[in-house]
Amino acid sequence: MDIKEFLNEFNKRCGYDFSDYSTNSISRRLTKICEEMGLSFEQILNMVVADKKLVQTIVEDITVNTTELFRDPAVWVAYAKVLPRQIPKQTMSTIWHIGCSKGLEVYSDLVLINELGLKDRCRVIGTDINPTVLDNAAKGVYPYRFNQCYVENFNTVMKSLDLNVPFDKYFAIDEAADTITVLPHLREQARFLRQDLVKDRAPFAYRVDIVFLRNVMIYFNEQLQLRVLSNVLEKMHDGALFIMGKQEDIPQPMKAILLRQGLFYKKIKSSWP
Amino acid sequence: MATSQYKAIVIGGSAGSYAVVSKIVAALPPDFPLPIVICMHRLKHVRAGFVEALNDKSQLNVIEPYDKQPVERGNVYIAPANYHLFVEYDATLSLSIEEPHLFCRPAIDHTLSSAAKTWREKLVGIILTGANKDGAQGLKDIADRGGYTIVQDPATADVPTMPRAALRLLQPSAVLPPQGIIDFLKNIQ
Repeated sequence: MDIKEFLNEFNKRCGYDFSDYSTNSISRRLTKICEEMGLSFEQILNMVVADKKLVQTIVEDITVNTTELFRDPAVWVAYAKVLPRQIPKQTMSTIWHIGCSKGLEVYSDLVLINELGLKDRCRVIGTDINPTVLDNAAKGVYPYRFNQCYVENFNTVMKSLDLNVPFDKYFAIDEAADTITVLPHLREQARFLRQDLVKDRAPFAYRVDIVFLRNVMIYFNEQLQLRVLSNVLEKMHDGALFIMGKQEDIPQPMKAILLRQGLFYKKIKSSWP
Repeated sequence: MATSQYKAIVIGGSAGSYAVVSKIVAALPPDFPLPIVICMHRLKHVRAGFVEALNDKSQLNVIEPYDKQPVERGNVYIAPANYHLFVEYDATLSLSIEEPHLFCRPAIDHTLSSAAKTWREKLVGIILTGANKDGAQGLKDIADRGGYTIVQDPATADVPTMPRAALRLLQPSAVLPPQGIIDFLKNIQ
């Protein structure tokens, strides 16, 4: 059984469609999963209908769940500078983190929103395909020892913005327990919702002013990238800010709608869709 | 050696490799016939100055690729900090932030192994100085598919761990000092 057949069957049996993930990436992930579990494609397919936990594990292993507090600090510094202008004064605005994984970028964003005094004017929503990582996001507890870069990134960003903010204003480190915990006052400001980007529309009714879609579409083929982007664009206000990963580019057909501005993109004021 | 038998060069290096890579990219002519893909371990947040400095030294175009960028001659592609760099079957490059491999992201094994699958015997793989065994398996994958493999002579390496790890895993086509690597590459054209 080849990968295509496996993905078709997996979708039929479990309702997760990975067929438009980029081929090399998905085959790498699946090879690793089969090796680690000691199972063949056929064996996995025989088990998934009865074993929902196995389905979750596979989804978790296929989707990459790397997330980091203030990943690429320079991007966050630039973001903090445009953020106040991007938030309308009169209304509540919505910021959407797509493929938010364990939520660390949602919390990075919220730290800046709090520091810039925009807390009462923004709602921040993170969405992901994977319920397990969303649980983790909502709990806001992460391992410490391998993630000391969170503190370094945090300090780099604050220093670059001339903000004198200690890490423990928002996070608690427990070295003995090896945890970094998001403090409740910040955690309560985040909302995490499940969405399968491939087939579900946004799981909320608001139009959004800022979209984070960082290092998610690198795993999709161009066809899927375009489909996802159209759905996302529909949810965006004209003039909304669109933020991708440092090494990502907008697919050609969308370049007329999302215009590059420095590190970010802006949805042009048009009649889209 | 026939000149048109290769399609690409891949290079992996870690501690001490910046100096060697600098020498290599500085020595190659602007009409060097093959694209070069380089995966170097580097500090996570080393700024873009790293690539700009290499670009200033080279007559080739040294860049950090975007996801899905096609591989083309005249260019030297450097794995961006904190991303894995893969070569896809259609000779485009792809990036991933999946888990570190042997504590490394970018991981040399990922770049070399994926390049081996794409270019097979038409690939030259080079392992330079470094303090990690990442890259050894990737170079072996290149050798297993008939590619040409070069290991920097450990005696000339700032940190010989990486070349030695490669030598333990395979018998490369050549073991060369940095100047020997440069001469080899220059003769490819």
